Amino acid sequence: MGLKRNVSLSTALGYKGQGPYLTYILHRIGGSALFIFFTIYILSLVGVHAANRILANWVFQIIFLPFMLFHAINGLRITFLDLSPKLIEHFRTAINIEWVAYILVVLFALFVILRNVFGG
Amino acid sequence: MAARTLSLNKRGFNFETFMWAFTRFTVIAMYGLIIAGILGALIISAQSGANFGNILYWAFFPNVAENPLGQVWMTILAKLMVIAFVLSACGHGVHGVLEILDDYFTSEGARRWSRNFIITYAIVASLIAMFVIWTK
Repeated sequence: MGLKRNVSLSTALGYKGQGPYLTYILHRIGGSALFIFFTIYILSLVGVHAANRILANWVFQIIFLPFMLFHAINGLRITFLDLSPKLIEHFRTAINIEWVAYILVVLFALFVILRNVFGG
Repeated sequence: MAARTLSLNKRGFNFETFMWAFTRFTVIAMYGLIIAGILGALIISAQSGANFGNILYWAFFPNVAENPLGQVWMTILAKLMVIAFVLSACGHGVHGVLEILDDYFTSEGARRWSRNFIITYAIVASLIAMFVIWTK
C-alpha cells in the first residue's frame, strides 16, 4: 500500500476543519516538539554540553514551550472528554475553555522567559 | 452529536484498545506526578529554604546541579518520582510518535522498521535516564 495524497500543501493548509482540526494539528506539532525536547534532555543527561546549551537557550525555549504547553493542555481536554463520553457533545465549549487556559498559561510562561532574558 | 455508549465488552479489548488506554493512563500518571512534584517542591522549599526552581532543576538535571535537599529520603523520593515521570513520558511518547509515523509510512516494511526503531530508542533512552538520575 503506497502513500497517495492528491492534496496540495496549499489546499491542506486551507482545509476548513476549524477549531478541532487546528487543535489536532497543533497537538501533533507539540508532540513532535516534546519528542525533540526529550531527545535533547537525554543527551544532556549523558553529558553532551551542547545539549545543555540548547536547553538553556531562550530562543529555543520561546519556540518550543508554546507548542509543548499546548500539547499538555490539549491532552488534558482529550483525556477528560475520553473518560467522560457524555461530555463529548460539549467539545466545542471544551476547546474554547482550553484556548483561554492555554493563552493565560503561555503568556505567563513567555513573560517569565523574557523577564529572565532581559534581567527583570 | 451522540455520546459514545459502546461498552468495553461490545467494543472488544484488542491491541488498539489496550494502547489507547495505556496512552490515557500514562498521561494521567504524568499529570499526577506534575502536581505532586510541584506541591512537594513548594513544601520542601518552604520548610528548608531551598529555592523552588533549584529543586526542580536538580530533580531533572542531577548531573549538572547541586542537591538542595538535606534528607536522604527526600532525595530518594524525588529521584523515584522523576524516574516514574520519565518512564511515563517515554511510554506515552512511543505510542504518539508511532501513530504519527504510521500516517506517513504506509508500507509494511517501513512501518515495521519505524516501530522497531522507536521502541528500541525508547528503551535505550529510558535506561540511560534511569541510570543517570539514580546514580548522580
